[in-house]
Amino acid sequence: MTDNNAIKTIFANAIDGRSDEIKRISLDILNHPESGYREYRTSRLVADWFRTNGFHVQTDVAKTGVISTLETGRPGPHVVVMGELDALLVPKHLYADRETGAAHACGHHAQIGSMLTVAAGLLNESVNKNLAGKISFMATPAEEYIELEYRQTLVDNGEIEFFGGKQEFIKLGHFNDVDIAMLTHTGSELRGTLGIGGSNNGMVGKTIRYTGRAAHAGGSPHLGINSLNAAHLALAAIHAQRETFRDSDTVRVHPIITKGGSAVNSVPSDVRLETYVRASNVPAILRTSQKVDRAFRSGALATGSSVEIITTPGYLPAKYDSSLTELYSHNAASLIGDDNIIRLNHGTGCTDMGDVSQIVPAIQPSANATTGSGHGTDYRVDNYELAITKAGKAMGMTLIDLLSADGEKARDIAGSFDAPMTIDDYLHRMRSFRSRDTYEE
Amino acid sequence: MSVSNLDDLRSIVIRSIDESSEGLITAAKSVYEIPETGFNERKTSSFVQKRLEELNLSVETGIAITGLKAVIKGNNSGPTIAVIAELDALRVPSHPGSDSNTGAAHACGHHIQIGALLGVATALVTPAVKHALSGNVVLILTPAEEFIEIEDRLARRNNDEIEFLSGKQEMIRLGAFDGIDMAMMIHTSNNDGKGYFSVGGTTNAHVTHQVRYTGKSAHAGGAPYKGINALQAAMLANAAINTQRETFIENDVARVHGIISNGGTSVNAVPDEVLYEGRVRAGSIDALRLLEKKMIRCYKAGALAMGASVEIQSVAGYHPLTQNASMEKVFVENAKYIFGQHSVISEPSDRNHGGSTDMGDLSKIMPVIHPYSKAASGIGHGEDYIIQDYNRAVVASAKVMATTVLALLHGDAIKAKETIRKFQPYFTPSQYVKSQRDRFTTTTYRPG
Repeated sequence: MTDNNAIKTIFANAIDGRSDEIKRISLDILNHPESGYREYRTSRLVADWFRTNGFHVQTDVAKTGVISTLETGRPGPHVVVMGELDALLVPKHLYADRETGAAHACGHHAQIGSMLTVAAGLLNESVNKNLAGKISFMATPAEEYIELEYRQTLVDNGEIEFFGGKQEFIKLGHFNDVDIAMLTHTGSELRGTLGIGGSNNGMVGKTIRYTGRAAHAGGSPHLGINSLNAAHLALAAIHAQRETFRDSDTVRVHPIITKGGSAVNSVPSDVRLETYVRASNVPAILRTSQKVDRAFRSGALATGSSVEIITTPGYLPAKYDSSLTELYSHNAASLIGDDNIIRLNHGTGCTDMGDVSQIVPAIQPSANATTGSGHGTDYRVDNYELAITKAGKAMGMTLIDLLSADGEKARDIAGSFDAPMTIDDYLHRMRSFRSRDTYEE
Repeated sequence: MSVSNLDDLRSIVIRSIDESSEGLITAAKSVYEIPETGFNERKTSSFVQKRLEELNLSVETGIAITGLKAVIKGNNSGPTIAVIAELDALRVPSHPGSDSNTGAAHACGHHIQIGALLGVATALVTPAVKHALSGNVVLILTPAEEFIEIEDRLARRNNDEIEFLSGKQEMIRLGAFDGIDMAMMIHTSNNDGKGYFSVGGTTNAHVTHQVRYTGKSAHAGGAPYKGINALQAAMLANAAINTQRETFIENDVARVHGIISNGGTSVNAVPDEVLYEGRVRAGSIDALRLLEKKMIRCYKAGALAMGASVEIQSVAGYHPLTQNASMEKVFVENAKYIFGQHSVISEPSDRNHGGSTDMGDLSKIMPVIHPYSKAASGIGHGEDYIIQDYNRAVVASAKVMATTVLALLHGDAIKAKETIRKFQPYFTPSQYVKSQRDRFTTTTYRPG
């Protein structure tokens, strides 16, 4: 039995020889962005890499997901390292796909890099022979909760049930025997640091459709029922709720109008919106969701329109495991120094890593290796060494701590994890978020 | 001695009014000095009572709280014509003539109606004139034409002091107009330089909504999430109402306007009770009903959005004014007779002035006219609405009204009788009272 520091050194050295190759894959993904549940090329790249490196690979998981497994051959815990396949839609982004508008404005291409980095290091025999249990590398589709209409068609066709890729993975049973999960996201906090801890909002998604009555807007507006006015009033009504949002709930409601009328000289009779309702905890999401529905109904009532509100399960709030965080922090500090480890605050965005964090101990550290603003046109990874190599090393070293000594540490962490819900509870709860209601006076 | 020639009689009337003109103007100005809002016109009422009694008229008082009635009987039997003046002031605290305690002000010029009515009374009590009349003239002073202070009046309604919220509505209900065949009054309007008077046109029907939102109070800083903000509900309703405007048809002359008469109690508490007083007007009762439906939907929407509850009390308002063409013709003839061809402008009967008057209600029961004396400057109901020309407002108005009465009732009252014969009432008084009662409704909405 070698001591962990020695194993980590071997692990790190194994990585250093392959960092250029892995960076090239990340850049390839950056240059070929694909949005959620459409990551065919990205998925192939990842699967090919794993196959070439001798992993057992399962493809087409939740449409485009890839799972590659490394069995140590010794019984023990199951630890998952993840990377997200999908891009956003930011047509004006420097690296946007001209046809689809997809762009890696959230840095997921670097996640794949850090995940491959861990895999490359663990391939080393001297490393993995000291570990017990199983390590899975999960490349997950569709973390960004976008293109709701497209995803709804996938739901309607029975291809998926949930809009988020990790949610589908959970539903498909790929987390049934998982003990611990980790993923490194890029971030734009203090540059050059690794961020730890933190938490994220959860959310539900809504698509709203008002149906009024078209009429000539000049000739006979009195015959029309204006659905745009209904939507406008609903938005005002949503804003009127804001004073009832509790600070500690970090509520976010931010609708868009996806169809605001057809012709300016016709009273709009088909108006559609999308919104998220985000908050730091599930009761606040549900409470706010009710208020938002009430506001949408009030727009219909005021104008005499009807309104259909479809609520889809979004992501659960993320809460990262503190023991795992401390273990990671220790390893990260050994790489980049204590001063370069920062504690993350609560994030008001959402991630399907939140869902994972509700059922297994999970962390999502942040590699602060970017410039620009997240989801913006100028968001770029400019420190690949940190985002891919060091992030991968920090995760891998943590993994070594977890799975060495017969996986004692992993067992400790998994054993003391007080899961907010079982996978069955999770699925039940997510399905209960789904609703489709029509309202008219 | 009896005078039967109309021109001679008119000369007597005109002379009598001219001789008392100074006193009439002073009377109007005295009323201006004691502005009182509807159903509170106690000083005004007793002032007028005294002046009528000085003309040896027996005055019935306290009708609909402050209303007055005095009869001038003609020598011969015949139709009865009411000459009406309105006792009440508005509430415009910034008006130069406002009462510093109550804010009441004659910003609608009702005080000149009283001067003009006293002028008519002075002329018609002249023995030679009375002798020539076949029929009677009833002088009626009506309270509360301005449909304001709704909460106070609803309190009076709850105390059984009144049932309807305006003076003429109450006086119709109380039978004060029973036995009267037709009615006239004169109102002031802006002097636009085109003649002394205008006749014709119509006014809007209206309904008032007392919209009471109930939410839940909470510390607005400490725990706003525990509250339900009734003010937000009212404001959303107001925004909703505004979106309906594009569905209004111009011909309906729809007017929708409200005030928030209780918008919260203290700024650091989430408002849990808000009172929105809405007024909906339209040129016909049918159009009004449709508008009212839309408004009620909007009031509810505000409650639904916030999770508040709302009670909407509909208060029966006025009917559209229909002016009688025969009476109008007589008024025009007399105006021209005294002040010349160009002294009077006739408006088309469908020209809707946008405002509302309880003379409209009376017009559904009997022939009425509601001409204007163009003697004011400023914006009606505004702080600058001032009577510029008291001579025109009081003296000239009295002359035309008195000679109009004379023309209708002199001889065998042929013109009055013809007016009555041609008139098709929309309501009998009892039908009217029933229809108004039915317009009082309360809707309560508590979203789930």
